[in-house]
Amino acid sequence: MIRAALANLAAAALPFVLALAIGAIVLAVTGHDPISVYALMASEAFGGTRRIAATLTATTPLLLTGLATAIAFRAGVFNVGIEGCFYLGGLAAATLGFWLVGWPAIAIIPVALLAGALIGGAWMVAPATLKVRLGVDEVVTTLMLNFIAINLTSWLVNGPLLARGSANSATPAIEKAAELPRLLPPSTLHLGFIISLALVILYGFWDRFTVTGFRSRLVGLNARFCRAVGIDVPSLLFRMMILSGLIGGLAGAIHALGLVHRFVAGFSPGYGFTGIAVALLGRNSALGMILAALVFGALASSGATIQLFSDVPIEIVEVLQGTVMIFAVAKLGLLLRDRRGLA
Amino acid sequence: MIDPLIHAALLMTTPILLAAIGGLVNRVGGIVNIGLESMMLTGALVAVIVSADTGSVMLALFAALVAGGIVGLLMSRVVTRLAANEIIVGLGFSVAVAGLVRFLLKSVYGVSGTFNPPGVVMLPRIDIPVIADVPILGAILSGQDPLTWFAWAMVPVTAFVLARTRLGLRLRAAGSAETTARALGLDPLAIRDASTVFAGAMSGLAGAHLSIGVVGLFNEGITGGRGFIALAAFYFGRNRPWRTALGALLFGFFEALQIRLQGRGVPAELVQMLPYLIVILVLTGLGLANRRRSGSSS
Repeated sequence: MIRAALANLAAAALPFVLALAIGAIVLAVTGHDPISVYALMASEAFGGTRRIAATLTATTPLLLTGLATAIAFRAGVFNVGIEGCFYLGGLAAATLGFWLVGWPAIAIIPVALLAGALIGGAWMVAPATLKVRLGVDEVVTTLMLNFIAINLTSWLVNGPLLARGSANSATPAIEKAAELPRLLPPSTLHLGFIISLALVILYGFWDRFTVTGFRSRLVGLNARFCRAVGIDVPSLLFRMMILSGLIGGLAGAIHALGLVHRFVAGFSPGYGFTGIAVALLGRNSALGMILAALVFGALASSGATIQLFSDVPIEIVEVLQGTVMIFAVAKLGLLLRDRRGLA
Repeated sequence: MIDPLIHAALLMTTPILLAAIGGLVNRVGGIVNIGLESMMLTGALVAVIVSADTGSVMLALFAALVAGGIVGLLMSRVVTRLAANEIIVGLGFSVAVAGLVRFLLKSVYGVSGTFNPPGVVMLPRIDIPVIADVPILGAILSGQDPLTWFAWAMVPVTAFVLARTRLGLRLRAAGSAETTARALGLDPLAIRDASTVFAGAMSGLAGAHLSIGVVGLFNEGITGGRGFIALAAFYFGRNRPWRTALGALLFGFFEALQIRLQGRGVPAELVQMLPYLIVILVLTGLGLANRRRSGSSS
């Protein structure tokens, strides 16, 4: 039992280990010492309360984009459109955050978060309908919708929603009451972390103990079987895709109210795409995704500071993130089989 | 007035068309290539480096082609030999290569964002006497660079190879009838790898066109999502070379138009949305047509 769990953990960690190895090669070739760089990154991510708080702040959006992706993926829907939902949710929440002047925190925060989630869900109605009604491949539609959302929001903050007197593409700052409370001032860790963590844990229970949770996973495993036993597969897929969009929008809303306190062009440095890596690395399980989000959060927060303390460019983090994504879907066991076959 | 617009539209079309033909062949062979952007970016950087180092455009193009092909091969091997999902691997390559390129720029060349080494030799322009003075026709045919001619020459070549040759038949078999292909003694995975290498090489050239064909330097954002526009083009073209070329031309035209319209009250962002929006509309139309067809037959 314990051995099986350990083997599982080792298998799940393998993509990350391989990515670190490739990153080490890149570092070594360019004249950096990989071990000292990784040691510095580890201490920057987890050395002391303030650093841990920074890591948890960076983990927050990834928990939810990972969750949003996992909800779709486990039902067999390849929704790669969370990035777009994140942008739209962020813009909606930030806009309400500066429009609803004078509202108390207890009203403005839930309203803004809800609006962000709803617009994320609404954004997925078109690709979900196209998929279940007309069989249009959701990968292409959701991917294309990302670029549409990014351009659309960037147009809105350059024109109609641009802060007065501001030259750069940003909305005005949100009302003080709309800001999510900080948990550990002076660090930027905010209430959004608790909300996100709670939602992922809730998902873990939903996944294991509810009928819908079970059915949607079953649809991902074997849609034909589900149809045969009378599960309404199209309606389930539709709902899962909308749910995934809702959470993607909520992720953006939390990011806007909790950390950025406005919406700016280039709002997300690819949180939606990193969310895909989180879901894959965490194998759609709640605990797995929390660990994976933590790993990517640590990479992001340490990347931002290693640049200050060493001459290692922050982009090494992107190299690691991309490589983890690649290895997370590769069936690495086949490598061993190939070698045996040759011998 | 219209001549500069036509010329600019064709110039903008070239990189999209090159990558789209590569992606089309790749898709016919059975892989939807989301990583075109990463191969383009690699080609753009390598072309600038080699062009500045050697002063030879031919060497620069060759290096970009090989570099793009290598990225394609790496991606393909992960997909075909390790049974990895092509979409995720493609996105992973987009993220990792973009990071690697910026990392190397900072780490090796000590520059951030833009790399502008001295001595970059640009692609030549081919001026055709007499025709150059004819309105419209002159703008279309004269003053284009060799890669533009190559890209358009590849359209009929690809159409012919796919439809009429043994190579094309094998490629289509590897893509749509893997078991049959295997039964015939073909190696579908190797054919698929070859098609991805081709896509990578074409995207490498597309990147070279952007860096040493248009601006003469490298910038980390030089590809600007054109790998994904190329994806939109071959989805628009439904795997047909001429229709894909039409899509690329349409998207190139939008881009040229958007640059011209800047500062005239038409928001660039809204024009930039169009290619993506059109693809969704095209896919919707196809879906509706399919449903009607299956509905009438049943």
